[in-house]
Amino acid sequence: MAFISVTSPHSHRANSTAGVMQQLLLATLPGVLALFWFFGWGILVQITLSVITAVLCEAGILYLRKKPIAFYLKDYSAVVTAVLLALAIPPIAPWWIVVIGTSFAMVFAKHLYGGLGSNPFNPAMVGYAFLLISFPLQMTTWLPSEGNFGASTGVENTLQLIFSSSPADDASNYDAFSGATPLDELKTQLDLDQSTDILQQQDVFKGFIAGAGWDWVNVAFLIGGCFLIWRKIISWHIPVGFLAGLGILAAAFSLYQPAQYASPLFHWFGGGCMLGAFFIATDPVSAATSDKGRFIYGFLIGLLIYIIRTFGGYPDAVAFAVLLLNLAAPTIDYYTQPRSYGHDKPNRGTAKKDS
Amino acid sequence: MSRNTWKFHGGIHPPQNKQQSVSASIRQLPLPDKLILPLQQHIGAPGKVLVSVGDRVLKGQLLAQAKGFVSANLHAPSSGTVIDISDQPVQHPSGLPGKCIVIETDGKEQWCEIHPIDDYRQMDATQLLATINNAGIVGMGGAGFPSHVKIGTQQTISTLILNAVECEPYITSDDLLMRERAAEIIEGLQILAFILNPKEILVGIEDNKPEAIAAMRRAAQESTEANPGAPCAVTIVSVPTIYPSGGEKQIIQILTGKEVPSGGLPSDLGIVCHNTGTVHAIRNAVIEGKPLISRITTMTGNLVTDPGNIEVLLGTPVSHLLQHTRTSANQIHRLIMGGPMMGFSMRSTEIPIVKTSNCIIAADDQEFPDAPPEQPCIRCGACAEVCPAKLLPQQLFFYSKSKEIDKAKHYNLMDCIECGACSFVCPSQIPLVQYFRFGKGEVRKSKIETDKSDRARMRFEAHQERLEKEAAAKEEKRQQRAAANALKKEKQAKAKLEKEAAEAANPSTAASTAQESSNEPSNNDADEALETLKSNATKASKRYQQAKKALQMAEKNGADNIDKLREKILQLETKASDAKKALKEALPSPAKKIPAKSDATPNNTPKETDTSAVIAAATARVKVKKAQNALMAAEASDASQEVLEHLSTNLNTARTELEQHAPSEPTTGEAQ
Amino acid sequence: MATEYAKISLDGLWYKNVATVQVLGLCPLLAVTGSVVNAMGLGLATMGVLIGSNLAVSLIRQFVTDAVRLPVFVMIIASITTCVEFLMQAFTFELYEILGIFIPLIVTNCCILGRADAFASKNPVIPSVVDGFMMGAGFLVVLLILGALREIIGQGTLFADFDLLFGASAAQWEIKLFDEFPGVLFAALPPGAFLGLGLIMALKNVFDARLEARAKAQQAPVTLGSKRVRTTGHIT
Repeated sequence: MAFISVTSPHSHRANSTAGVMQQLLLATLPGVLALFWFFGWGILVQITLSVITAVLCEAGILYLRKKPIAFYLKDYSAVVTAVLLALAIPPIAPWWIVVIGTSFAMVFAKHLYGGLGSNPFNPAMVGYAFLLISFPLQMTTWLPSEGNFGASTGVENTLQLIFSSSPADDASNYDAFSGATPLDELKTQLDLDQSTDILQQQDVFKGFIAGAGWDWVNVAFLIGGCFLIWRKIISWHIPVGFLAGLGILAAAFSLYQPAQYASPLFHWFGGGCMLGAFFIATDPVSAATSDKGRFIYGFLIGLLIYIIRTFGGYPDAVAFAVLLLNLAAPTIDYYTQPRSYGHDKPNRGTAKKDS
Repeated sequence: MSRNTWKFHGGIHPPQNKQQSVSASIRQLPLPDKLILPLQQHIGAPGKVLVSVGDRVLKGQLLAQAKGFVSANLHAPSSGTVIDISDQPVQHPSGLPGKCIVIETDGKEQWCEIHPIDDYRQMDATQLLATINNAGIVGMGGAGFPSHVKIGTQQTISTLILNAVECEPYITSDDLLMRERAAEIIEGLQILAFILNPKEILVGIEDNKPEAIAAMRRAAQESTEANPGAPCAVTIVSVPTIYPSGGEKQIIQILTGKEVPSGGLPSDLGIVCHNTGTVHAIRNAVIEGKPLISRITTMTGNLVTDPGNIEVLLGTPVSHLLQHTRTSANQIHRLIMGGPMMGFSMRSTEIPIVKTSNCIIAADDQEFPDAPPEQPCIRCGACAEVCPAKLLPQQLFFYSKSKEIDKAKHYNLMDCIECGACSFVCPSQIPLVQYFRFGKGEVRKSKIETDKSDRARMRFEAHQERLEKEAAAKEEKRQQRAAANALKKEKQAKAKLEKEAAEAANPSTAASTAQESSNEPSNNDADEALETLKSNATKASKRYQQAKKALQMAEKNGADNIDKLREKILQLETKASDAKKALKEALPSPAKKIPAKSDATPNNTPKETDTSAVIAAATARVKVKKAQNALMAAEASDASQEVLEHLSTNLNTARTELEQHAPSEPTTGEAQ
Repeated sequence: MATEYAKISLDGLWYKNVATVQVLGLCPLLAVTGSVVNAMGLGLATMGVLIGSNLAVSLIRQFVTDAVRLPVFVMIIASITTCVEFLMQAFTFELYEILGIFIPLIVTNCCILGRADAFASKNPVIPSVVDGFMMGAGFLVVLLILGALREIIGQGTLFADFDLLFGASAAQWEIKLFDEFPGVLFAALPPGAFLGLGLIMALKNVFDARLEARAKAQQAPVTLGSKRVRTTGHIT
């Protein structure tokens, strides 16, 4: 009697890519809840829209590529991309923003490069950058944080804002009750030669660290990130490098001229910092691969974020910093290969012929 | 007793599944009817068959002899008859058949002559090594590397390690062996220590085998007490349970903190590492004189009703084991030889137990379900975290898959020990080890190809070189020949010059030749004489030229007789100019000669009466001519001086004779 | 002769299309295709230069030695480009202002020098002119498609500002496709041009693959077994 010949090993740990993705989604829950608490129903609507779009796009492209649709949909990678993108989008952004952004992310950033595992850039961030470049107004208009799960705006009002029939109305609507994010506001004010003292004065900055609500949102993402590290879904190298890079530069500048440069705490707990550090930059597909490489990768992202936030044209910079370092990841990999067992020193650079 | 241990990078904790097979003690099975003995049970060259079909063999008789250094002997596990030597399904992962000796057992278990050693301490280390070599012992942990090669190392060994880790799930053969035969294992270690003379003996046992640790500690203690003069004490080290701590490189790192250099051997660090079963077999070979004909194999898996460890004869078909452990063979989904991490699945139950078969797992699809389809790698790095060789499997995977072997080698693909930890943890269910085996195969293939092309290039270059050498040799020969020729010519020229000089010293000869020939009285010979004169002049100037050339050559070659030559040349020059002068003087004569001739003819006619005189004159003329010719010939052939003189005398005589007979004939040359 | 011109035309428009196959002249292609009118302005200018340079090069092809041909060709192209520039300055000044540096940069467009060297310097005058026209037309078509694509996505209009090129009456040609379209700035920026060109090239490749597959499918029964000689077609 003959049996199938299978190569070793014959046993496997019961884990799966889908499991990794599911835990990642679970880890975003605190952040989602915090966003929901401070900015209302919008975030839930955005996530729903984004997930639906992503799954449809993924299925469509898989169909075109003649791949098994159910098999690939079950890995949850499309859902993760969609949720991460939705978390970065202003909760009251019109519906077509998230739809365009998600489909761009899925089609152009993911599948045109070969699908899961082959994309050199983080799809969610490509989608975000695309939206930010194309629709700067809609992408930088946030509601002021309020608390109480958006009770004052209400579900209907939120839905109306998001699905309002005429895009042109948006601009006028927004002005009535929307505002910029603390990071945005700080940048504007500093550009107007104000000092960082305004952080204590204006409403938008009235949080315990970095602006009303925003600090709590970041704390929530930090908690989710710690869960991921505890579950060994991500390693500590990228987030720590990321926060170190951002913090060191911010500390140096704020020590040098505190009136013009915000503190590291403000940078850490402002904008999309924690989301970027634990959820965006840690996307393994587009990041560096060795432990040392990951730390360098995270560190450089942190530096770039500070530089772009402070000296660049955009108030927040996670997307651009991550995309730029995605580009550099292979080079980082070349120079951070670990020392293998039985070798005196690690190999460096690219492979030589007959090495 | 606690000793410092080190950690290796990574590692995993797969489910142990060892408890199933440790409850029963080691047992034996009834003798199988047929024993199938593959010639290739070890790393290295297969042995040379010493028996033929129909031979009766005794238990322990040598069946195949080691061929080459890295090879091992093979013995008959039981007495019986050789019924076949042919290709049979064997234990190779590829499923390809291999050459086997098939023995039909006779049930008598009749031993051949064996030579137990009473006191190995009285023996020579080389004798013991030969005993181990003859017993056909190979590494019984799985690799099957011939043990005598390891023990026979020329390097100084400071540490002898007993690898009793047994980190693979399911396998308990070493565990049971230690529990039940600890003293024998310690004895085996002492034999090895006697041969290798190490400073310390370390026994690494995973802490999930407390009974074995206790048994070994007891045995070590007793051994030390019994032999106070033993070379060195045995230290039992309990190591943390983590896969793959039983890898040779890993156990060395755990126990000593040292890393075996890439591409090197443990003996480079002064370490020799042996498996429990191997040490036990060495003890049996030395103390009992028995070759390696049986081993302990774990029979386990959820289809096995009576799991446990069995002392089984080599060559026993797996089906025999399945049958006697009450295994439902028809439900088998996967039949594995070795552990679940590094073992391979067998295609048939007729495959025999070999020296390296430490475990047989008969599992259904619940225990080892088929792997789900491979998903794309998301570079999560779980594999790199667990890799005991500290590689980056995620990178190696891409490079192996795309056959970028240079890059794969750059990422140290060849240092992969194929432990399977990466595949075990991969969330995308990628069979990484399989890709690495493929990649390694590609590397080896490309190496073979490179070697081949290198050899071809070397052959070509050697060929080119040979051709060049041949051409150079030819050229050299040619030059030598040319030099020899030049030398010869020089010699000839010298000889000629000397001769000429001699002639010059006796100018009368040459001059007389010229003059006499120009004095040629005969009408008929006048033209001839002129010709002779001309040729003499040419010859003289030619000789002069040749002599000049010879001088130049001689000057070039730095000959010592240059001065002499120069002198001779001067003489020759004079002679040549003399000859030319003679010719010049002779030249106008034909004009005068022709009328003389025409005159002479009528002059001759009236004197017809004096016939005899005419005849005599003619005779004399012929004589003159002959003498002249002889002289010329002699001159041309470089004849010696005497001959020339003699000839010229002859010529003169002949001429006088002619003058006597034909006084009327006009005389040319001197007359003018 | 007819087949020769057909081949030249097909090469220019499809098989050797400057933008999608030879991938030449990308700099102006990506820079000025923000709208149809820009694309058309630059496309026509390039086409004009191509025709002129091919004509001139073909005329003098007997008198130029290999060693000096490139400088000579560049001189010719530069002169013609300057003429075109002056013409645009005279008649479509606003468009000239918009296209700015990209008009003089036509000189450096590889496709022009490429055609001069690869075709016009080896062929008689008329085929060279036809080649220049067809290559220019192929380039123009791609420019127009890309321009239209980017104008629609970037601004939500089509044929806006045509008065710059065709006089005041053309101002009405503008089509507003959407009411209150926010405009995807991304498409109007250079990345949009890269993406758009990539998509156009991909589409062309898909089309080519389909054509080839169809041709194979049609040929297959003829080549299999049948030894019939085709007697139809041109005999020249």
